[in-house]
Amino acid sequence: MTALATSAPVTPRRRTRRWVWAVGVLAVLLAGFALLNGVFPFPARLDIGLSARLDEAYAWAVKNRDVSPLFLYGFNYISVGLGSLVTIVNNLLIALTWPGVIVAGAALAGWAAGRRMALVTAGAFVCFGVLGLWDDSMTTLALMLSSVLIALIIGVPVGIWAGRRDRVQRVVTPILDFMQTMPSLAYLMPMVLLFGIGTPAAAVATVVYAIPPAVRITSLAIRGVPPAAVEATTSMGSTPWQLLTKVRLPLARSTLLLAVNQTIMMAMSMVVIASIIGAGGLGDDIYQALSKVNVGTALQAGLAIVIMAIALDRVTNAAGRRTRTHVDRTALARYALPAGGLAGIVVAVLVGRVLLADESFPENWSFSIAEPVNAVVDWLQNHVAPATDAITRVLVSGVFDPLRAVLTDSPWWLVIAAVVALGVIFGGYRVAITAGVSTLLVGLLGVWDLGMDTLSQVIVASVITIGVGGVIGVAAARSDVFAAVIRPILDAMQTMPAFVYLIPVVALFDAGRTPAAIAAVIYALPVVIRLVNDGVRGVSRTAVEAATAMGSTRWQLLFKVQLPLARASLLVAMNQGIMMVLAMVAIGALVGAGALGYGVVFGLAQNQFGLGMCSGLAIVFLGTMLDRVSQGAARRPLP
Amino acid sequence: MQYRRTLRRGTALALAAVLAAGCAAKTTSGADSGGKTVNIALNSWVGYEADAAVVKYLLEHELHYTVKLTQIDEQPAWQALDQGTLDVILENWGHQDLVKTYIQQKKTVVDGGPTGNKGVIGWYVPKYVVDEHPDITNWKNLNKYASLFRTPESGGKGQFLGGSPSYVTNDKALIKNLKLNYQIVFAGSEAAEITQVKKLYKQKKPALFYFYTPQWLFNQLQLVKINLPKYTPGCDADPKKVACDYPAYDLNKVFRKGFTSSGGKAYQLLKNFRWTNKQQNEVAGMIADQGLDRDTAAKKWVEANKSTWEKWMPK
Repeated sequence: MTALATSAPVTPRRRTRRWVWAVGVLAVLLAGFALLNGVFPFPARLDIGLSARLDEAYAWAVKNRDVSPLFLYGFNYISVGLGSLVTIVNNLLIALTWPGVIVAGAALAGWAAGRRMALVTAGAFVCFGVLGLWDDSMTTLALMLSSVLIALIIGVPVGIWAGRRDRVQRVVTPILDFMQTMPSLAYLMPMVLLFGIGTPAAAVATVVYAIPPAVRITSLAIRGVPPAAVEATTSMGSTPWQLLTKVRLPLARSTLLLAVNQTIMMAMSMVVIASIIGAGGLGDDIYQALSKVNVGTALQAGLAIVIMAIALDRVTNAAGRRTRTHVDRTALARYALPAGGLAGIVVAVLVGRVLLADESFPENWSFSIAEPVNAVVDWLQNHVAPATDAITRVLVSGVFDPLRAVLTDSPWWLVIAAVVALGVIFGGYRVAITAGVSTLLVGLLGVWDLGMDTLSQVIVASVITIGVGGVIGVAAARSDVFAAVIRPILDAMQTMPAFVYLIPVVALFDAGRTPAAIAAVIYALPVVIRLVNDGVRGVSRTAVEAATAMGSTRWQLLFKVQLPLARASLLVAMNQGIMMVLAMVAIGALVGAGALGYGVVFGLAQNQFGLGMCSGLAIVFLGTMLDRVSQGAARRPLP
Repeated sequence: MQYRRTLRRGTALALAAVLAAGCAAKTTSGADSGGKTVNIALNSWVGYEADAAVVKYLLEHELHYTVKLTQIDEQPAWQALDQGTLDVILENWGHQDLVKTYIQQKKTVVDGGPTGNKGVIGWYVPKYVVDEHPDITNWKNLNKYASLFRTPESGGKGQFLGGSPSYVTNDKALIKNLKLNYQIVFAGSEAAEITQVKKLYKQKKPALFYFYTPQWLFNQLQLVKINLPKYTPGCDADPKKVACDYPAYDLNKVFRKGFTSSGGKAYQLLKNFRWTNKQQNEVAGMIADQGLDRDTAAKKWVEANKSTWEKWMPK
């Protein structure tokens, strides 16, 4: 194994040997499970008792919230500031009235991203109205815009700093990892305690979740600026500030807009969760529809969220791709269009305020998709349920149960040893140590059994995701038509809040681990499919042409050329697939997955901060372990 | 260049003007606008929504208040009362820990008296199960029928379907202490639980689950309560040793302390608000079964039940 751990180039044969070693490790684990079944549960005395201490801290905060200067002069001001920001944006949207918002949105999109995007934006706004969700859409939009603004104000400078200094980057990266893998449901309760219910807490929770891409991609953008440009400017005697504002930022513009884009996307996934703590908006519609088990109404609001997310995505993307050529702009483009846009906004606002007397989007222009959707769900339940019931039976007794038994009933030290061994095999010693310690920490938090239960579920869902996503991704890479057809479906899958499809998955697969796994697969598939598609398409054309010229068949081309050459992207797809599945652990508990996710949800619901936080931390540690081992495989040198 | 700068300034000015207009238009909508706004927590179950709908309708149409309903979970709602952002929780189910923290210790929240609704938590089975096995309603016979309730998730035992994690539950302890051969499967949310129960009901398959009244689902499905060992005061004192049924809850209202002095007529109406399970189910049924929006449902009920709500009006 020592030979494998060095960074010598890995030949294909070595890679095969790596898999043989991995199978060997699993065989040892299984042998240990068979011989020492249940003999070595994780010792209770190793529990570090973090949960109780967190509960004490929480109780202190509850008691001293009104007297401690920390709150009086700290959190309360932040809270008021955040609340006012969201309120100002919301009031602005209300003051513009609906015709004003549509015209202003279109004008802004047109100015930043071109005429087509102006139409897309106007269309999206009209959709909110037609879906009968204008007011709630504006509430959500205000929260999203404010949160994204704050995330960028914090994230971009940190990203620039991290992009300039490697040491900063090294410190910041694990913090960002933590912010992304910690389930937001676990830190919702402290947010409410620190910042108060409603928009302030929701804004902070959204910002926490949305900052990581802002920092990461900004850092990437700054690092991507060609050194030659920097040197040239420095030699001409420019100050560091000039260097940043005149050279680095403009050159990194399109990547920076990608940061904006990804920040928006992350923020959008918090819309429903914000409703739990009273932030209002579209999440309320979904939440209330759920308690009436009305999938159609939930889907209607979900659709509004999807439309909002896709419109924001397309506009920021287009803005990022656009290169401004000032030379060929005519006087028309320079003055008449902006002036016309402004005039249009003013007219629209006047129409809205005077003619329509501040009324909201007319109700009789809207229609409901709830009934047909509910009919479809009923039909599915009646006709597809026998097949899905069979899938559940097979998955639960054939896959979930045995895997959980192996992980929970094997000696705990053997499981950790297996993780360490796999770490060594796939990533080397550093990976092995991180992965082993992370796994041990799950036990030290006092949730070993639940952690292993969750791990077994994550493994199953990840395998399904990677298998299905791999096949669809390859198919998409080989057919432009197929790729074009599935693109909007993938967009919808990625942006549709999971809360919307929780009821249908239970109706089909029965409450338990299966619907949770299916929901996780739905959420994680798009990323895997996209990365596989990009990876296979990214294989150099010369290699493909050479292979074709030598007479290889389509399948040979795929398995001997395209997939091996796309190996790095395939491994990234695998890693991201696992991370996305992990992000659904807490949501999965809402349909019966139990385990760590249930700890998070229960802690939130029953005021047990310690339990919720420890379960959340355990998820973070499992995530670190899975991430390091799977990334280790991707980072290993290529043959 | 000169023109561009002018244009940019113009845009900025225009934006600032619109912004100012926006603020000016809405400065009157804060939480403390002369005591004329009532902020009511809206918990997620439909029975609660029925309470909120009717109260909101009366406050708006009879007393001319502005009512803001805030969709929020139970725990954060208590915190909101403590923080002063909400005025009232309309239907509270027990929550001894929160009562202790906020009512007894911090004294920022006060008990607002009963809503008149009787909350009954318990274990339920569909009526068709009882028709076939009449003695199943006695908990002592549950083990005899455990195999009926077996599912892939329950691993050889009978499946007991748990309710939403935010509700009061002793089920895990009950199964253990009554030595029942059942495995608890946490549905994890009310939506998942009801979906599952409705599915089994449609297929006429057995189901044993945590549920409660008043609940709109009873308008659609016929469910029978299992008789667990009788509740006696104090038998649920130690959550780990519970071996008795849930207590009957007199559901109550909870107010923000400050609201009781500054709430005026709105406070009096909320304080007087009292109705029966049947009345709540009527409104909840309109919302959940007939798909009426809550304002329409409330209007319908208010128009037909003047004699009931007249008694709630401030003198």
